[in-house]
Amino acid sequence: MFTKSIRWRLQLWQAFLLVCILIGFGVTAYQLNRTNRLSQIDAELEHRLSALSGDVRGRPPFGPPPGRPPFASAEDAPKERMPLGPPPEHPPFEPGHDSPFPRRPEPDSRAPRGRMEDFLETREIRLAPRTLSLFDQTETNDFYFAIWTRGGNLLKRSTNAPADLSLPVRLDALTGIHPRLREANREAYQFTEIGECVLVGRSIASDLRATQRFALWLITAGGAVLVIGLGGGWWVAGRALRPVEDISAAASRISAGRLSERIDVADTDSELGRLAAVLNSTFARLEAAFAQQKQFTADASHELRTPIAVIISEAQTTLARERTAAEYRETVGVCLDTAQQMRRLTQSLLELARYDAGQESIERRPVNLAERMRAGIELVRPLARERGIQIHSNLVPAEALGDADRLDQVITNLLANAVHYNRPNGEIRVSVLPENGAVILTVADTGQGIAPEDLPPICGRFYRADKARSRANGHSGLGLAICQAIVDAHGGSLEVASQLGVGTTVTLRLPSPLDKIPPPP
Amino acid sequence: MRILVVEDEPRLLSNLAKALREEGYAVDTADAGDDGLYKAENCDYDAIVLDIMLPRLDGWEVLDRLRKQKQTPVLMLTARDATRDRVRGLDTGADDYLVKPFDLTELLARLRALIRRSAGQARSKVEVRDLVIDTRARTITRAGQAVTLTAREYAILEYLVLHRGEVVTRTELYEHLFDESDDTLSNLLDVHIFSIRKKLGAELIATRRGQGYGIES
Repeated sequence: MFTKSIRWRLQLWQAFLLVCILIGFGVTAYQLNRTNRLSQIDAELEHRLSALSGDVRGRPPFGPPPGRPPFASAEDAPKERMPLGPPPEHPPFEPGHDSPFPRRPEPDSRAPRGRMEDFLETREIRLAPRTLSLFDQTETNDFYFAIWTRGGNLLKRSTNAPADLSLPVRLDALTGIHPRLREANREAYQFTEIGECVLVGRSIASDLRATQRFALWLITAGGAVLVIGLGGGWWVAGRALRPVEDISAAASRISAGRLSERIDVADTDSELGRLAAVLNSTFARLEAAFAQQKQFTADASHELRTPIAVIISEAQTTLARERTAAEYRETVGVCLDTAQQMRRLTQSLLELARYDAGQESIERRPVNLAERMRAGIELVRPLARERGIQIHSNLVPAEALGDADRLDQVITNLLANAVHYNRPNGEIRVSVLPENGAVILTVADTGQGIAPEDLPPICGRFYRADKARSRANGHSGLGLAICQAIVDAHGGSLEVASQLGVGTTVTLRLPSPLDKIPPPP
Repeated sequence: MRILVVEDEPRLLSNLAKALREEGYAVDTADAGDDGLYKAENCDYDAIVLDIMLPRLDGWEVLDRLRKQKQTPVLMLTARDATRDRVRGLDTGADDYLVKPFDLTELLARLRALIRRSAGQARSKVEVRDLVIDTRARTITRAGQAVTLTAREYAILEYLVLHRGEVVTRTELYEHLFDESDDTLSNLLDVHIFSIRKKLGAELIATRRGQGYGIES
């Protein structure tokens, strides 16, 4: 499923965010625009409404209220003021006519109610020219107005007022301006103090259409932005992820077999560069491990082939003709020795292989290294005596956690080497000493020594410094390699120091828990 | 025929030497590359059995240096059997290559073939006048009748037959028929030649006074 792809996920998230942002932005813009328009229209309506209301109330729309200083111009002055007293009778005002009589009602609470009512119901309203100009039909702003009496009868209306005017419902006793939207008309109305209703309105159909067009434009623009954004995002994601593809392909190739290849790292500091570097170093280690394994296998098979050749050759020669019993015995003896040599070799190889695979379980018990060294010395003493070699020891009781048998193996090997590679009547110095958190074992001999170029690989598998001699004695070159493996498994270290013609010293260091070290004597 | 065996595994070396001597060869041994090279350069062996993994100087080096001076047939012996190594051996100048562990009879057969080839002899049976010498079975048949020769006599005859038409000096015969381990009592050439003449006829081996012996082709 494509939801597994990072690229697709990035894309979906990006789309989601973009859509949210675009919707938010679009809605806000639309609302703002709409509100702006409406408030603008409302302001205009209010303006006209105020003017109209002023006229209806009798107050001059522009200029100071009655009793104030004279007007700035004659035009501003009301044409006539309503005289106090009962107004003359007049025919009811007919809707549709625009020129009102110059009459202006003045609210007079002292006037008798009934006649006031009639008056109010039928009076004529005179509008100032300026007010009228606000409702000028020749312009495109087609404002209309309507005035209702207290009784709900339409008193006056502009010619362009729509046919479906309706008296607004009075919600409260206040005389504030209320806007309303009736179909495609925006109206503002006001109830005067005497209950008359003045309404100004305007068709906002065109505005609504404009708003709709704006909305459409927003949607289109938003869509375009979305498409561009997604397209751009896809491209960017593609570019960013391409190195991942490259690395993945290179890594597959390398792990499929071409271990000497490496991932090409152009930009080493980026996140992917670091990833590639890590992968490369892993491959390098893998390659080295494989090479070592190959070498080991080749060496091992070589080492085994020679003893097999000996046995076959010996047997075939002996069987080629009649032999004496002594000859047969000798041949059989050679075959046996060689077979045992092979057995030791395969055992060593298996051991090394197990250490390599980490399968050897090392016991962790307290081992008294001084005791084990003592035992080892006793083992090799007869051999040493044969060659006149003296063994001197300095053994301080010291304990380490480990596997007694395996450590015995190491000790025996080191001591045997010291005897074997020593000169006749030479010396061996052995010591076991505790140190901070460790036990140090040293075995030093006065033998032929090891050449400096042979020292680094001396613990390597099958490495023999003196190739001819040791082969003759059945040494396979694995002794030190196994010691190294055992020591490593114990978390210790093995070091070989030597001087040609002087002697060799092997230093073994095993970690020891502090509380196990006995106090110095 | 005198063979040099260069091999560092002592048991194998002694065994090979023994087997080859029992086959009638004179065998010299060396257990290291430099020793082997020295001997090979200073003596005309009929064939050399050369191991690759040798101390001090490995087989490749020995072969390389030897080939600058001598054309002695060389059979390389080794535990490395990769094709790469075989090719390298043959290209460096070895005449044959045998992988350990090998079959002894195969080694002997290949050695025989090597020696035959270097004498220009394709088949294992050689005919000289009424004699048929089977170099593989080491038998002589004269006019259909089998003739018994001692190992030494056979060796001398075989050498003279393989070098027939040439004059073989006494020194050469000594060098090719007796190895360093031989004690001196058994190398009286004249006695052997006399015995051969008695068994196969006096006219077979001609004597050139002051020069040596030869069989006419």
